[in-house]
Amino acid sequence: MSNIELALWSFPVLLLLIFLRAPIALAMIAVGATGTYLAIGTPMMVLNQLKTLTYGTFSNYSFSIIPLFLLMGQFATLSGMSASLFRAAESFLGHRKGGVAMSAIGACAGFGAICGSSLATAATMGQVALPELRRYGYPGSLSTGALAAGGTLGILIPPSVILVIYAILAEQNIEKLFVAALIPGIIAALGYMLAIMVWVRVSPNSAAVKERVPWAARMRALGSVWPVLAIFIAVVGGIYAGIFTPTEAAAVGAAGTGLVAMLSGKLDLQGLKAAILATASSTAMIFLIILGAGLYNSFLALTQLPQMASVWVSEQGLSPWVVLTAVLIMYLLFGCIMDSLSMVLLTVPIIYPIMSVLDFGMSADDFGLWFGILVLIVVEVGLITPPVGMNLFIINSMARDIPIGQTYRGALPFVLTDMVRVVILAAFPAITLWLVWVIDAL
Amino acid sequence: MAYLGGAALLVIVVLTCVSIVGRALVPLDIGIGPIRAIYDLTEIGMAAAVFAFLPLCQLRRGHASVDLFKPLYPTVLNRLLDLLFDAGMLFIAVIGAWRLTLGMLDKLRYGETTLIAQIPVWQGYAASLLGAVVFALVAGFCVLRSLRTLGGKTDAEPEHV
Amino acid sequence: QDVTLRLHQFLPPVATVPAQILKPWGERLAEASDGRIAIQHFDAMSLGGRPPELIDQARDGVADMTMTLVGYTPGRFPRTEVFELPFMMTDPVATSLAFWEMVESDFQASEYQDVKILGAWVHGPGLVHTADPVNSLEDMQGKTLRGPTRVITDLLGELGATPVGMPLPAIPEALSKGVINGTVIPWEVTPAVRLTELVSNHTEFAGDEALYTATIVLAMNKAKYDALPDDLRAILDEESGAKLSAFAAEVMYAADAPARQIAVDAGNTIVTLDEAEVARWKEAAQPVIERWVAEMDGKGIDGQALIDQARGLIDAKTN
Ligand code: NA
Ligand code: NA
Repeated sequence: MSNIELALWSFPVLLLLIFLRAPIALAMIAVGATGTYLAIGTPMMVLNQLKTLTYGTFSNYSFSIIPLFLLMGQFATLSGMSASLFRAAESFLGHRKGGVAMSAIGACAGFGAICGSSLATAATMGQVALPELRRYGYPGSLSTGALAAGGTLGILIPPSVILVIYAILAEQNIEKLFVAALIPGIIAALGYMLAIMVWVRVSPNSAAVKERVPWAARMRALGSVWPVLAIFIAVVGGIYAGIFTPTEAAAVGAAGTGLVAMLSGKLDLQGLKAAILATASSTAMIFLIILGAGLYNSFLALTQLPQMASVWVSEQGLSPWVVLTAVLIMYLLFGCIMDSLSMVLLTVPIIYPIMSVLDFGMSADDFGLWFGILVLIVVEVGLITPPVGMNLFIINSMARDIPIGQTYRGALPFVLTDMVRVVILAAFPAITLWLVWVIDAL
Repeated sequence: MAYLGGAALLVIVVLTCVSIVGRALVPLDIGIGPIRAIYDLTEIGMAAAVFAFLPLCQLRRGHASVDLFKPLYPTVLNRLLDLLFDAGMLFIAVIGAWRLTLGMLDKLRYGETTLIAQIPVWQGYAASLLGAVVFALVAGFCVLRSLRTLGGKTDAEPEHV
Repeated sequence: QDVTLRLHQFLPPVATVPAQILKPWGERLAEASDGRIAIQHFDAMSLGGRPPELIDQARDGVADMTMTLVGYTPGRFPRTEVFELPFMMTDPVATSLAFWEMVESDFQASEYQDVKILGAWVHGPGLVHTADPVNSLEDMQGKTLRGPTRVITDLLGELGATPVGMPLPAIPEALSKGVINGTVIPWEVTPAVRLTELVSNHTEFAGDEALYTATIVLAMNKAKYDALPDDLRAILDEESGAKLSAFAAEVMYAADAPARQIAVDAGNTIVTLDEAEVARWKEAAQPVIERWVAEMDGKGIDGQALIDQARGLIDAKTN
């Protein structure tokens, strides 16, 4: 078997292993190592690689931002800020039709500004908002669907672990990616709110409204969420203004949310232990996948498949937009069954080099940012598409009385707004890039 | 083990913040500056922490996987697959610890250090080896656990979360 | 019998070294062997790992050949550091020939005994690039500067700056964010990191000696080298060694001038410190050299003898 055939065969084998429920990291390590062995004819290359590769990967300074952001999210979850965010949003929106659900979306967006992970956002906002939604008579499908979708704002609004990983894999600037994600993230939140408004208009009896809250109380509620704003400005603003490196900013964010949690009395020893264990488990999972992706990609490089694929795609004379559409659809399909992080780690090293040589009529830097945001959105849709959508599972596990089928149905309107958003952002790159240009010009 | 790693992570958070404060105080010229070794320390601490986190992830079955078809497979097949993948993880963990040890011995022999603080690199490997060895042990335990489950004893199976 | 050799290194394919040194060298090997030697180039760490791992990758056969900056593995090749000492290097080609000669006579059997060194060279004169001008020794005080190797970070610290280590691609971001105030690198590298757009002051040094240089080696897996058929090994030897080392140094040095011109065209300030000022820097750098000699003593290496030998060889190689 030639090396190229080996590389081509590795895809179905990898997918088969993954469908057989193999841990994704294990599948990538196994296929990468076996493929290298077959290509070289001796296991020594992989064995010798492993002498330094694991330590080298785990000690990589750029990656140290990941556990720090995860810890920050855990502290934010403990801190009770999710509840104050929800109350603040409710005081503004609660008296409108569908207002409680829209408040949940708003609070998710706020929480996303201090949390880099979707699952943590979904879990913590679900705890706060789900009982409230049920109390005001929202149907189960709308309640769980809205919260699962709102959870994706944890990643769509910077800071975001997925963007960090994309930045490292595609050698893009983390700060600029965070800035580029801001407007699309806000559009996402508005899109979700719009979906709720339409829903409650279409089925008018679906929810009760709260009483209007006077302005003084609204301001008080808003005042109670200042730590969120302060931390967001310190982290994202601090990176962009050049006060911190991204890793430093993540450390500052973790320290800040930890401090808020401590002051609110929620960070006792029990809470600290839980936060550390949750961070530990996710960190280990992510780093093992990073290691697996490294082994698998070095195997692919050895076979020279990526270079040939890149040449092949450019020789087909396809329109770049056709290629882009195909890639985004592929992500959406994979997203139905895979989690977003594994998808990014597995595909970006292969797909990004191919895409970056296509001419979309923009500079290489701009393309890297714009494509990153598009990938971010389509992989995040995967969290709320059936049958495997982690956010759906998380929210559904909190509402045992709602069948998963209803949750699936509840998510569909939100998936629809996601699709519309992807099309808009793909068609008008300036929406994503405008803020970066403005800030760069300062 | 995970707590040790967590402690390393918290130390990095604190040191980084201290270093930032130190850097902010440089213009005052009072002899306070950033921690010079922060870059080196972060790398070593992070590697040790990640290795220390691996056993917990394994124990909790925390690795990302696609469970879409789990309900479609017969129970026996699912248990066989669990056993297979636990065995695979044990294989990787053992090889990983073995190769890391050899890597450490290399670094020790060559006397490599970090760039700024000139901390011997083998010490970073040694700190990581602790987690790697426990990972191998825990992976071995998980294989036994899967074997027990396969034999019909279901008590040891934790909920997949 | 034909051989295909995998060459792994850290620079992107468009950089001077892979594009103008390693690839032409591979072509010469193919030509001289009638196509029986083929070099497969793996740029930008595409075979995995990070730059500090390159030397082990050659030793362990993860790749057949790797090119690495010796400074990526601080402490591992102490003898080689003699060429990185402050104000040691004069002409890069002469220095590279001296470096190669010492590899052949001494280093190959000592610190490089686990690999076969095919080429050993240094880059052009390293200089200081900063946001705020450096017109004298005093201007180094309190600046945060990026340094590439152990000896050089020690030097920066000695001169009053705060040295930080970071990979080359991280420089633009760190500079634009003010995380560092400047960096030391040779001119040749400046276009790749768009340095002239990020800082507007460049400080050169009068006299024959450069502030510093960094050492680079092309290492080959020993077993792979020994297993080559005799005639192919002879061809490889012929195209490597002093010939490759001098060629590499020439190409890198030649790339300095156009890169410097970019800074000139950009209207940046290029100051050349005069001999008197340079003498002050040399004096300030003396403790670095002394520390290095003492450190070598601790390792059972006669550092002073290495310095004398290197100086003598560099002189001899300078026509
Ligand atoms: Na976020
Ligand atoms: Na999905």
